[in-house]
Amino acid sequence: MITSTAPLLDVRDLTVTINRDGRLVTALDKVSFFVNPGEVLGIVGESGAGKSITGAAIIDLLVPPLKRTGGTITLAGTRLDQLSPKAMRSVRGGRIGFVFQDPMTSLNPVITIGQQLCDTIQAHLKLGGSQTKKRALDWLDRVGLPNPDVQFKRFPHQLSGGMRQRVVIALALCADPVLVIADEPTTALDVSVQAHILELLRDLHRESNVSMMLITHDLGVIAKMADRVAVLYAGRVAEISPVGELFSAPKHPYTRGLIRATPMPSATGEMRLDQIPGAMPGLGAVPPGCAFNPRCFRAQGDCRATIPPLHHEKSSAFSCFHPLERVTA
Amino acid sequence: MSASDFLILNHVSKVYRRNQSLLERLKKSESGGTKAVSDVSLTVRYGETMGLVGESGCGKSTLARLVSGLMAPTSGEISFPPNASGNKPRLQMIFQDPYSSLNGRWTIEDIVAEPIRVHKLRNGRAAIRARVDELLVQVGLSAADAEKYPQEFSGGQRQRICIARALAGEPEFLILDEPTSALDVSVQAQILNLLRDLQKNLHLTSLFITHNLSVVRIMADRIGVMYLGELVEEATSEELFRKPRHPYTRLLIDAAPDMDTSDRSLHPIAGELPNPAFPPSGCRFHTRCPFAQDICRNTLPPQKATETGSMFRCHFDLDLSNASVFPPAAKVKTA
Repeated sequence: MITSTAPLLDVRDLTVTINRDGRLVTALDKVSFFVNPGEVLGIVGESGAGKSITGAAIIDLLVPPLKRTGGTITLAGTRLDQLSPKAMRSVRGGRIGFVFQDPMTSLNPVITIGQQLCDTIQAHLKLGGSQTKKRALDWLDRVGLPNPDVQFKRFPHQLSGGMRQRVVIALALCADPVLVIADEPTTALDVSVQAHILELLRDLHRESNVSMMLITHDLGVIAKMADRVAVLYAGRVAEISPVGELFSAPKHPYTRGLIRATPMPSATGEMRLDQIPGAMPGLGAVPPGCAFNPRCFRAQGDCRATIPPLHHEKSSAFSCFHPLERVTA
Repeated sequence: MSASDFLILNHVSKVYRRNQSLLERLKKSESGGTKAVSDVSLTVRYGETMGLVGESGCGKSTLARLVSGLMAPTSGEISFPPNASGNKPRLQMIFQDPYSSLNGRWTIEDIVAEPIRVHKLRNGRAAIRARVDELLVQVGLSAADAEKYPQEFSGGQRQRICIARALAGEPEFLILDEPTSALDVSVQAQILNLLRDLQKNLHLTSLFITHNLSVVRIMADRIGVMYLGELVEEATSEELFRKPRHPYTRLLIDAAPDMDTSDRSLHPIAGELPNPAFPPSGCRFHTRCPFAQDICRNTLPPQKATETGSMFRCHFDLDLSNASVFPPAAKVKTA
């Protein structure tokens, strides 16, 4: 699916390094992707692949010694990487909303959730007092909290995990952002609650047509939520594809390995589990050439010598010298 | 009770009492408490892997602690019928977090050798070291790793060390409490395959506890589903997924998103998990069950046995083999 409109968010060659006792180690190596208006881009990978760093780098929330050292980030024509820290503050929570993984640590425990919502709305929308409160109550209702008037005065510890995550979502969306970055929004939740939160995110996405970056390690969540998917491995983009194509015909051996390693019943109800040998290289231990080559069954000499560039096709892109053929079985 | 029974749980309950105030103690009032495990009866047979699934707070980890003897049940009894040699079976446990369950000041050799020393399974330094090397190779590490410390290993490798330590005690019974929940997908697959091979080769009987239905489906012969401290259904792995009898099982199976991109519907379970300290009356699932009737609100459903030897706890005999039997879930605003 090619849209003629310009992408809302365009990230090019984003590089993040970590300073380890004077030695610079690359955590994110020239990551490029874009998000179209109204689209859900899934970002998937295992821990240490750089998914969360990507999200944090976009809104300039990297914690030292992590530092952005290269690349451009463009949000609807504005170069975010060139904004002053002060200007960036108004983007964060204003034009870009952020949903964090752990709802307990991302809410302030000593301030009522109503006050936290009002603070956010006031900081970004410049509304009057009564209008601010009305909007906050509206949002509590929209994210599915019963009796918003009562909930408004409650503290985070008085809510269950699922309810807290609903409040975090309200906080991310209450200032009418153009982009929401959700970093593992359901990982800390139980399965039955996870489905609720995903459904809520989907409903809100449909209503407001906000663009979304959904960062997760769960391929099931990706399959249900994303329009396009970027697979990260060891700080590099392995593959970007529309979601249907990614699952039916993955190009990168790592993508297929990841799909096959996820325990899922096949259509016949049979369980298959194919492991990928080895483990993802740690920071600073990325092998030369393709980062996946020591674990890859298709690796050859060129994979060990040069880093494969991102090869663009019609709707997808992958970085592999020996991509998997489209299976026609 | 038949000769093949390995572990029998008979109406086991565990109540976590809260601390009473002085006044309450003086008045000798009956203190309330959270019934973490309530009236669970279960039999594990020789050589079988019994899976336990449920959401957080359903009591599955408490049950593991009860079975391992780390805690005593408040009521009911847990027994291991004596085997042919008349001895109690040796038991080992593998925990969820491989970072906190290994002592960072001990070398891998010390860690793996400890159960061997405690149970006096080998005599002499050389024999113990040889056994440690053998175990490390068995779980996919190398003998040279024995000199290292846990910090030098990744999460998956640490879990392998935990498995080696558990096997060092030459257990007949293994309790696995969420052994792969802290691991990445590709590493999880490695560990699950390793555990599957070990169980096959060593003829272990085990209790496998997880919240992930797909994982338990791969690993277990029989599966028990827990909800708020109760065992609501128990059946063979194949039967549980083909024809679940309890509405909660059906909903739990559907709630986990699969990788089918053509059908992108989500199936949340209405409502939220009630506070385990104050479980609903009658059937504990009635607040979230799409089939709930008046009887469910008042009367505790009996344990019903089926002709195939499985058990479920529901007033009705529902045919839930197909996901589409459910009335379309109304958009319930949850409390």
